[in-house]
Amino acid sequence: MTRTVVATGFGCVSGLGIGVAETWRRAVAGEGAIRRLRRNPPAGHPARGIDGPAAWIEPGASREALAGEDLRRLGQLDLLSQHALAATAEAVDAAGLRDHPSLSSRTAIVLGCGSGGNATVDAAYERLYGRGLGKVHPQTIPSSMISAPASHMAMMLGIHGPTFVIASACASSAHALGEAMHMIRSGRVDVAIAGGAEACLNLGSWVGWKSLGVVADDTCRPFSKDRTGMVLGEGAAIVVLESEEHAFSRGAPILGELAGYGMSSDAADMTAPDQAGIEAAIHAAHADAGVALDAPALISTHGTGTRVNDPAEAAAMHAVYSDAIMRNIAIATKSAHGHLIGATAALEFIIGMKALAEGIAPPVLNHLGPDPECELPLALAATPIDLEVLVSNSFAFGGLNAVLVGRRRS
Amino acid sequence: MSVSPDAVLAVVAEESGLDLTALRPDVTFEQLDISSIDIASTLFAIEDKFGVIVDPDALNPASTISEFVALVIHRSAA
Repeated sequence: MTRTVVATGFGCVSGLGIGVAETWRRAVAGEGAIRRLRRNPPAGHPARGIDGPAAWIEPGASREALAGEDLRRLGQLDLLSQHALAATAEAVDAAGLRDHPSLSSRTAIVLGCGSGGNATVDAAYERLYGRGLGKVHPQTIPSSMISAPASHMAMMLGIHGPTFVIASACASSAHALGEAMHMIRSGRVDVAIAGGAEACLNLGSWVGWKSLGVVADDTCRPFSKDRTGMVLGEGAAIVVLESEEHAFSRGAPILGELAGYGMSSDAADMTAPDQAGIEAAIHAAHADAGVALDAPALISTHGTGTRVNDPAEAAAMHAVYSDAIMRNIAIATKSAHGHLIGATAALEFIIGMKALAEGIAPPVLNHLGPDPECELPLALAATPIDLEVLVSNSFAFGGLNAVLVGRRRS
Repeated sequence: MSVSPDAVLAVVAEESGLDLTALRPDVTFEQLDISSIDIASTLFAIEDKFGVIVDPDALNPASTISEFVALVIHRSAA
């Protein structure tokens, strides 16, 4: 018998703030986190440094959020792990799971990361190639490896069960939540601490993204006319998932159900989206959740704000939902928190589930007017809703698509 | 370059994540749970900051803080 999987704790850190309450407050109020980021390169370095729109976390904020934890080496960790730990601590405390006996043996950690500890790698390479030094810090590898945050989460909580990182670029944390859901459904574990983390606002990553030509000069305007691209964010978002039975048995708060998960691979191109691949993932998620395509839903779009992605996603949604699309409400919260790459899908799932529970869709920001190629039932202002179902889209570079379906619990 | 004991202790504290007050002269690395990678990190930072190279083989888990400080200062004078 397939087990029902529920969410019992949320935690997040992003440019919108530290913690779910502040994140949600700002998302609904339309207080976007995208603003000008300026960071100078190392002295004498020829690169121009960072200067452009981003949704960053105030330096040190994730570390301060962990002040009450017994984490002796916290200051040595890459921001990637600091963000992951801050979101994890909030989610596990919200779920009332701290020190619960299930953590040690019946719990998994499944974390999505698009890349590893970028700032640590930057610092090491700057020594080698910038200053011509021969040595780098001995913690360079353990701090920058992509699985480091999952290990630190396990150490903080005493988790000895399955613990690993899933990497699928911008869909990483959707895959993490979906695979964690299957681990609970199949009975491998009772609890999974799942989500994503990313810390990519360092010079090397910044220049890499800029070189790709998909980053906006002004801000993120999903599905809008005159949009110019995506805007990078950073942070982490963690969901505590449990079998419904386990959650009931300990009287845990039920925040909603993770009811379905569909994925597909375009097998076509490293950067261009593929409409058929997107449609396949949405279809699969609906089928897995047992949610009809004409059931009214809150759709948390991938909505990056790039010229090419938004029309492909809109066209796929029209093809999948046909006329029923107008029964839905579409949100695009990257306009508020930027693109958190490996963490973004989990943050969007949390915001989407909060929207179902609170009965309000947070506004799509920075919209300048409709684009005929991207016509969707967008919530351009905070909009009251009464919807049972969330469909949360994530479509990654390399054609790796993952769609989650959440269900409200009253 | 002359190195002060306080400067050495500050590096040990930073690289091991321990509070300065824990670094009493007679306690050993082992008692402080200073691991081999903490020692490697400390020696890296000592070299980076002060240009002083310390042979890691001169240290072991039973080395005390005062022995370590004396070793760095001795090497800095060499």
